[in-house]
Amino acid sequence: MTTSANEFIDSEHKALYSKICNEEDKVTRELQAAMARHPLLDAKVRNITKVLPNLEVISQDAKQLSDMIGFASTLIENVSYKVRRLDVARSRVFECQQRVHDLLDLQLCCDGVKSSMNIGDFEKAAAHVHRYLSMDQRLLEKTADDVNQDSAAVNNSISLLQDAATKLRNILSDKFSEAVKNDDLASVERFFKLFPLLEMHDHGLDKYSDYLCTQIQTFSKTKIKTTLDNKNSDKRAGIIFADVITLLFEDIASTIEVQQPLVETYYGPGRILKLILKLQEECNKQIKVILNELWRTRQIEKYASMVRDKNRSTSTMKPPDPKDLDQLLAELTIIQSRYHLYLKFLKRKVAGERITEKEGEQNDLVAKLESKLQSSDLCRLMQELLNNYLLLEHFYMEESVRKAIQMDCVDQGSQTSSMLDDVFFIVKKCIRRASSTSNIDGVCVVINNACGVLETEMCSALMNTMKVGFPSGYLDLTQAYNVMMQGRLQTTDSEQSKAVFIAHLNNTDVGSEYINTLCTSLVSEVTCSTELERRKLESCLTGLSSVSAAMGASQELGLQQLRNTAIKPRVLSWLDSFSTLSHVLSEEEFSSYEANEPFIRGFIGNIDNFLSEFKGLLTGNNYETLVSILATEVNSLMEKVIMKTEFNRFGGLALDKEIRALVSYFSTATSWSVRDKLARLSQVGTVLNLEQVNEISDYWGSSPLPWRLTPVDIKKILKLRTDFSNDEINKVHF
Amino acid sequence: MDDYKFLFKVVLVGNAGVGKTCLVRRFTQGLFPPGQGATIGVDFMIKTVEIDNEKIKLQIWDTAGQERFRSITQSYYRSAHALILVYDISCQPTFDCLPDWLREIEEYASSKVLRVLVGNKIDRDDREIPTRVGEDFAQRHNMYYLETSAKESDNVEKLFNQIAAELMEQARCKELPRYDDGNLQNMNRRTTSVDVTCCGN
Ligand SMILES: Nc1nc2c(ncn2[C@@H]2O[C@H](COP(=O)(O)OP(=O)(O)OP(=O)(O)O)[C@@H](O)[C@H]2O)c(=O)[nH]1
Ligand SMILES: [Mg+2]
Repeated sequence: MTTSANEFIDSEHKALYSKICNEEDKVTRELQAAMARHPLLDAKVRNITKVLPNLEVISQDAKQLSDMIGFASTLIENVSYKVRRLDVARSRVFECQQRVHDLLDLQLCCDGVKSSMNIGDFEKAAAHVHRYLSMDQRLLEKTADDVNQDSAAVNNSISLLQDAATKLRNILSDKFSEAVKNDDLASVERFFKLFPLLEMHDHGLDKYSDYLCTQIQTFSKTKIKTTLDNKNSDKRAGIIFADVITLLFEDIASTIEVQQPLVETYYGPGRILKLILKLQEECNKQIKVILNELWRTRQIEKYASMVRDKNRSTSTMKPPDPKDLDQLLAELTIIQSRYHLYLKFLKRKVAGERITEKEGEQNDLVAKLESKLQSSDLCRLMQELLNNYLLLEHFYMEESVRKAIQMDCVDQGSQTSSMLDDVFFIVKKCIRRASSTSNIDGVCVVINNACGVLETEMCSALMNTMKVGFPSGYLDLTQAYNVMMQGRLQTTDSEQSKAVFIAHLNNTDVGSEYINTLCTSLVSEVTCSTELERRKLESCLTGLSSVSAAMGASQELGLQQLRNTAIKPRVLSWLDSFSTLSHVLSEEEFSSYEANEPFIRGFIGNIDNFLSEFKGLLTGNNYETLVSILATEVNSLMEKVIMKTEFNRFGGLALDKEIRALVSYFSTATSWSVRDKLARLSQVGTVLNLEQVNEISDYWGSSPLPWRLTPVDIKKILKLRTDFSNDEINKVHF
Repeated sequence: MDDYKFLFKVVLVGNAGVGKTCLVRRFTQGLFPPGQGATIGVDFMIKTVEIDNEKIKLQIWDTAGQERFRSITQSYYRSAHALILVYDISCQPTFDCLPDWLREIEEYASSKVLRVLVGNKIDRDDREIPTRVGEDFAQRHNMYYLETSAKESDNVEKLFNQIAAELMEQARCKELPRYDDGNLQNMNRRTTSVDVTCCGN
């Protein structure tokens, strides 16, 4: 065996050996512990031996106890059985008593009904029958069978009472009809209250509702008649149909208000719906009559078809004057709003019947009411009316806006023209009128239509003016206004169109503002009753933003036109004198150039005149943009003339000073910085004002403003300096 | 949530009972409503769809087909980006009315509006209008054509997704600037909806 093998075995043995040693230790410890417990166990065994005889006794006792408990349990079971029997017996006695009572009452009712009916005391008679009806009919018959000896008497009473009930029902029905015929309100109510005692709830409500309906019908008929008789003389003639409808709704509402407690008290909860639905049928009939009359008298059909046909070539009729529609539109919106209130009232009445236990039942009632209403004539007619109202309102808005645009004029002292305020006045008026209907769909439609009218009528009118453009030729707006004030005839076309152009350009600016204001005010003004309604409204209002965008497009075009016809040619002509002046100056020439400012004084003067002429005429926004356009044009056009001029050191210095003067003038002319617009020109000045060509490298690296000029530009500019050599310029590195 | 890139208005029109409301419900809520009552006025729903990783918000206006709501319906044509004209393939009269609807569209809607003709209720076995007839009509009037079933959810998703995709395409092609000098105006106007009508000029 090799040593390594020995070693391996050794190590294996060693491990086993140490494991065995551990085991041994553990066993020894356990043995010791067991030995330690030995005396204890001994003592315990001794004790147990002593107790053993006692256990015998205990076992005996336990057996005895168990027997006793078993005995008691049997006893208790017996007792409880008896108690149960007793209970049954008692409830039988109670039932028996009830039956005896019923029997006694039956007799009593039987006697009472006869005598009460004889003396016409229907309340008492009904109360007796009610008592009889509240007895368990099946039980009653059984009793009759049980009480052998007296069964005939009981059966007799029952049939007598049954007869009496039938008779009483008929009598009450007749009496009620009679009372209705005599219009005897007290008796009507008297019998109405008795029906439920005879379990005639439905019959009673039917009859009573019929009665109330005739009342409403009479009321409505008289109202319609007086209305039609006075329809021309009444001072509310214009909205007299709205008045009649209001009266009808109020009459029905107050009827319901008065009857509800009565119905609840005598007929129980949840019954008012039946009454309301009955009354609603009458309402449908009456509304139909009134609306038919309205339709005819107000010639709605005629107007509607005129409006529908107006765009078709086949139309023979002249469309109505929007002013003639004003009153009708007002009347129609009042009707819609009253209708809305009426519906709300009905729903509240039905939903307010808190007495029914289950919430679900409540909702059922409201749902039933709503579905009935939705399919009612009232609802259909009102929807038709709304449809026609919206048609006419659209026409009204469109025509009025067109008129306002046709009659557009520019007043002195006003930046905008008359159409702006007029158009927005009309649009707001129409939307407000629609919102008084409380019908959110209606409001949304008028807003949609307003967007359309504003875009297709007003924005396109403004766009047209902008497209025609600002008349060129010298501008004297003050004169134009003066001439216009003296009368249109003397105004030259060009002066007038200048004034119109400016006013319309301002319209686009102020118009956008008006639209934003309109949006915000409508959001807070129009009440929405559900989240869906609010989202509908908001989404329709976003339509106004496309009107804003259209205005913005006109405004942009207008300002471009100003740039092309008013600004560019003018700046060019002001720059004429620059090219006539030499910028190759001796020192003396420079001094006199600086003293006389032969170019820049006149140039700034021209700019200042130009701006001050526009300042009061344009809105703030438009004026700022004008200044910005002017600065942009000066920036690029002046560079062009500079590029055609030669400079020496002094000429460059003079130019740089001129440009600085220009920049500082523009900075004072506006509230915001135009420095940026003139940045390129300023840099041209800086380059031409260099003493040495290579200075440009310092400027290039360290300028705080980003360079607008490219290295190529700069080289071109440097070449304008007669005193810089081309070689040097070409050597410049950036 | 509101981080959509495009917002389009889609308006459904067509005779009463052809299933406009059911189509919209199927698309927005994934259900076929039992006992659907006639729409009163106009209903309004929003659903955002995603196409080419772009969120597109569809504002869906479900109009009432009944004649007496015409003034309401008409006011929604003008600002619509897409109009879905629906008829019922099992009901000839709803197909016969299409020319009337087209006249209305011609009169009130923008001329560039995306127009889609939909023949609904293809699950029914009492078809009266063959597919070819609908297709022909659509082709003659320059409309897209699709047959759907709101009940079986056939082509409903496709209908709205295609419209969204098409409108997005149109809007993209008009995104090119219209004026060369953009910084003329310090413009901060809200343009919430994309004006599709100027596409292709
Ligand atoms: N078989 C079948 N029935 C449909 C389908 N779509 C709608 N309907 C049924 O057609 C009926 C009218 O559906 P609506 O969605 O209310 O119709 P609508 O066009 O909205 O009608 P208005 O709101 O009155 O203009 C309902 O009874 C629907 O169950 C369809 O795809 N298949
Ligand atoms: Mg519908």
